[in-house]
Amino acid sequence: MPAPAARPLLTRRARHRLAADAALLAVTAAFAVPLAWLVLSSFDTEANLRVKVPGSPSLDNFSAVLTDEITFTPMLNSLLLCGGATALTVACAALAAYPLSRYRSRFSRPYLLTILFSTCLPITAIMVPVYALFVRVNLIDTLYGTALFLATAQLPFAIWLMKNFMDGIPRVLEEAAWTDGASWFQALWRVILPLMGPGVTVVTIYTFAIMWGNFFVPFLLLLSPEQLPASVSIFTFFGNYGAIAFGQLAAFSILYSTPVVLLYVLISRRLGGGFALGGAVKG
Amino acid sequence: MRRIAPMALLTAAVLAAGTLTACGDGSGGDRNTLKVAFPKDTNNKVTVRDDYVELVARAFEKANPGKKVKLIPIQASENDYYAKIQQMMRSPKTAPDLVYEDTFLINSDIAAGLLRPLDPYLAKWADWKQFEPAAKAAARGQDGRTYGVPDGTDTRGLWFNKKIFKKAGLPQDWRPRTWDEVLAAARTIKRKVPGVIPLNVFTGKGAGEAAVMQGFEMLLYGTGQDQLYDPATKKWVTGTKGFRDSLEFLRTVYGEKLGPDVSDALSPNIQTNVATELMPEQKLAINLDGSWLGQQWQPKGGGKPWPEWPTVLGRAAFPTQHGAAPGKVSLAGGWTWSVPRQSQRPDLAWKLIETFQTKHNAVEWCVRGAQIAVRKDVAADPAYLKSLPGIDFFTGLVKISRYRPALPVYPKVSAAIGEAMEAVTSGDASPQQAADAYDEQLKSIVDGRTVAKP
Amino acid sequence: MTRAATAAYGTAGRGARPRRRARALLRWSPLAPATVLLLLFLAGPIGYCVYIAFTDMQLTGQESTSFVGLANFRRAFGDPAFLNAVVLTLVFTLVSSILGQNTLGLALAALMRRASRPVRTLTGAVVLTAWVLPEIVAGFLLYTFFERRGTLNAVLEWLHLPTQNWLFTLPILAVSFANVWRGTAFSMLIYSAALAEIPQEVTESAAVDGASGRQRLWHITLPMIRRSIGTNLMLNTLQTLSVFGLIWAMTRGGPGSRSQTLPVFMYDQAFLKSLIGYGTAVALLLLVVGALFSVVYLRLLREEV
Repeated sequence: MPAPAARPLLTRRARHRLAADAALLAVTAAFAVPLAWLVLSSFDTEANLRVKVPGSPSLDNFSAVLTDEITFTPMLNSLLLCGGATALTVACAALAAYPLSRYRSRFSRPYLLTILFSTCLPITAIMVPVYALFVRVNLIDTLYGTALFLATAQLPFAIWLMKNFMDGIPRVLEEAAWTDGASWFQALWRVILPLMGPGVTVVTIYTFAIMWGNFFVPFLLLLSPEQLPASVSIFTFFGNYGAIAFGQLAAFSILYSTPVVLLYVLISRRLGGGFALGGAVKG
Repeated sequence: MRRIAPMALLTAAVLAAGTLTACGDGSGGDRNTLKVAFPKDTNNKVTVRDDYVELVARAFEKANPGKKVKLIPIQASENDYYAKIQQMMRSPKTAPDLVYEDTFLINSDIAAGLLRPLDPYLAKWADWKQFEPAAKAAARGQDGRTYGVPDGTDTRGLWFNKKIFKKAGLPQDWRPRTWDEVLAAARTIKRKVPGVIPLNVFTGKGAGEAAVMQGFEMLLYGTGQDQLYDPATKKWVTGTKGFRDSLEFLRTVYGEKLGPDVSDALSPNIQTNVATELMPEQKLAINLDGSWLGQQWQPKGGGKPWPEWPTVLGRAAFPTQHGAAPGKVSLAGGWTWSVPRQSQRPDLAWKLIETFQTKHNAVEWCVRGAQIAVRKDVAADPAYLKSLPGIDFFTGLVKISRYRPALPVYPKVSAAIGEAMEAVTSGDASPQQAADAYDEQLKSIVDGRTVAKP
Repeated sequence: MTRAATAAYGTAGRGARPRRRARALLRWSPLAPATVLLLLFLAGPIGYCVYIAFTDMQLTGQESTSFVGLANFRRAFGDPAFLNAVVLTLVFTLVSSILGQNTLGLALAALMRRASRPVRTLTGAVVLTAWVLPEIVAGFLLYTFFERRGTLNAVLEWLHLPTQNWLFTLPILAVSFANVWRGTAFSMLIYSAALAEIPQEVTESAAVDGASGRQRLWHITLPMIRRSIGTNLMLNTLQTLSVFGLIWAMTRGGPGSRSQTLPVFMYDQAFLKSLIGYGTAVALLLLVVGALFSVVYLRLLREEV
């Protein structure tokens, strides 16, 4: 913690800064404890429920969980499920945002309101009927059915974000394209999307991360063990607190969480953190 | 533009891969592949059932060239397993061809039309007459047809740790005659051997049917005749003293801290915990549990090999409340192999059941899974009789064993009992309050078909 | 499939010449894929939800499904377990979303404006990591933290404070704190963005006028970010209403039903007690509450759209 240069009397601003630093560090420490458990336990074959420094740090936990059954298959399932769903969401959202952002008509406002309205619906609440519906139309226990549902669930928010980012692109640029006789698709693909690269990246990563962590949807819609994504397989993994290998669980949790953490780091490098997202949703 | 292209390509590739793999395993699979769903222990080290099913499946493939068996081991707690298989059986696309059903649930699944009657196959099957009559009845629906072939049964009693008993000055051939004697022994242990959990009785919603059957019904069936269901009037029973006394027993165990810590007792993983930690580490003196417990400590496929267990553990029958005849109580359950109605390959599925039930494979399962035999020829087999210490003791309990009401609503009644147990164990309700709440719930579950037996 | 979409577009070109209508259709065609998905997988299930809520559909135990009118809802309002779930949901929402995430998020955002850069970066990284971690991992980490033999009690012992069996005695508080741990970052981001937009000179001139920090917060800062506060509260509350995985991983709604919020209750009824109809009726009520909140949220954003 950098203390300001010692002067007989700290300026008021420096005092404020010190106080703020101290308060933040206290909160950070509280937030960091569970994370510390995760990291320390993953290197500790003797890990238990408490945070402790491993006696003899080793990578044994990681090698124990790096098997097809525990890690690779579920992670691949997660990648297929969330990758497919994210691609679908982003593509549909980019297309839908274009007319909503560029044209005015009698129904664009109600449409947008409906979209906004559905961003807020508790998706958890419709999972039971979705399950019953999927049984009836034979989409139950299919990766693509689950991906379609995940994509739809994220779609309203993605459309809303995309539209907000698109509104920030001045129209002048595409009017030039219009006069050259470009179709709407060319205008969108050649002019707008390249300009809103950061926006698309934010939407993509945010959507992917939300899906990657989603447990309830695949938990209900996928049944066969070989199709389960990591979010569900990790749950069965610690479905036995009784005789649990805490170290292995921590190792698996780290492997499973790494992709999303890396993606967020990527965003923050590019765009100053999720702060872009905060700006997009704060209304 | 240049920035997005790789990402677009990547996602397009992922999407394409996703749809390709998804299309690959559409529909109910092909004609020659049998799908077999069974529970996998939540403890990854316990592979007794997995190994056995695998063994039989491979033998079946060898005997029937061109046929494949696909195993669907479902790793979940007991309650979650039931929810999962029911979800699977509802759709032809996901229905397995063979499913391992607990006899406690089978009537509910029969009533829901999830299973296929096996009578046409059984009529032509010579081995069926080897099965004990009680076992044949376990998978019989209200319509009198049979929906599953049992592969073993189980009985219940007290396992106690002789070493801890010695320290506490209790007899090595302990034979409690009443509930009070069980509690007295537990209190003695609490006093004389600190740091050890005196008595475990499964309780609450977490352990599911294990708590209701191993815990509550072992108590209730020892309090008098037909305290749960009255076969004469075909009605469920409310307001009995036996029900309240059984809850009172739990309140005593957990209120006096004779049992495991309440939060552990109510966790869904208490069964694993007891079998793989508390017992082998000699932290638990008396455990009211099932006959199959020994399989957990087998050198192969067990969760926690424990070579000394035959000498360390003793067994005693669980007594009736005040020692009324026959003096001991046991309940019998067991699992069956059944064919879901939505299965597209029932004939082949039946063939696999027959393979499971060749005498050799049936003995193999009873030995590996610490099961009590349901076939006369298996029960007389020397390999079975020598399989596990105590198998003779638990087989002896079959004679006095009682069964749960084989009715479709039973699982819901069981859930209501689990909630009453949980409320009393956690101290949220007195036995009287919990029993009253149960009576109310029972009335709505069975549409008022209840009879009061104060 | 596109009939619904075309019907909607039709209004745009009513009474216009066919060519103009065709152009309008073409202009709005990019909406089609999203609209189809939303109709099939969001509107469809919601409609189906309304239907099932009035039937006695079951997972097992009976073969046929029949229409039972309002029986499920009557049952819910007479069911102590349901009422318990409602109360717990309210507690969970109040503690974790309104008091926890919202207040802590605002405090962090405000402090970060004054703090030194390294501390700001560190705090941001840690709090964001907690938010980014998948729900089940978060649930598991906090399970180990609150467990009887876990870190929290270790810390309390070390400070010579009385320990608690959190997950047993106060599970609803444990899961609420877990939700605060997991969700505060979102509020922090929104408030950071909002505070960054307050012009420096406004606060500075107030400071020069001798307004104390508290007065400045109450009379200047909060009014200036009031719309963000509204938005954040709405989004947080709606998020919190649908938390399932975190609670399921930590307590499964237990012990007893001391942490059984509505989503957990719904799952328990529908899949563990196999009463799909009843579970869906509860889900419908949850959906209606969510819809009401959404409408309020829309009012807040009215001038945006």
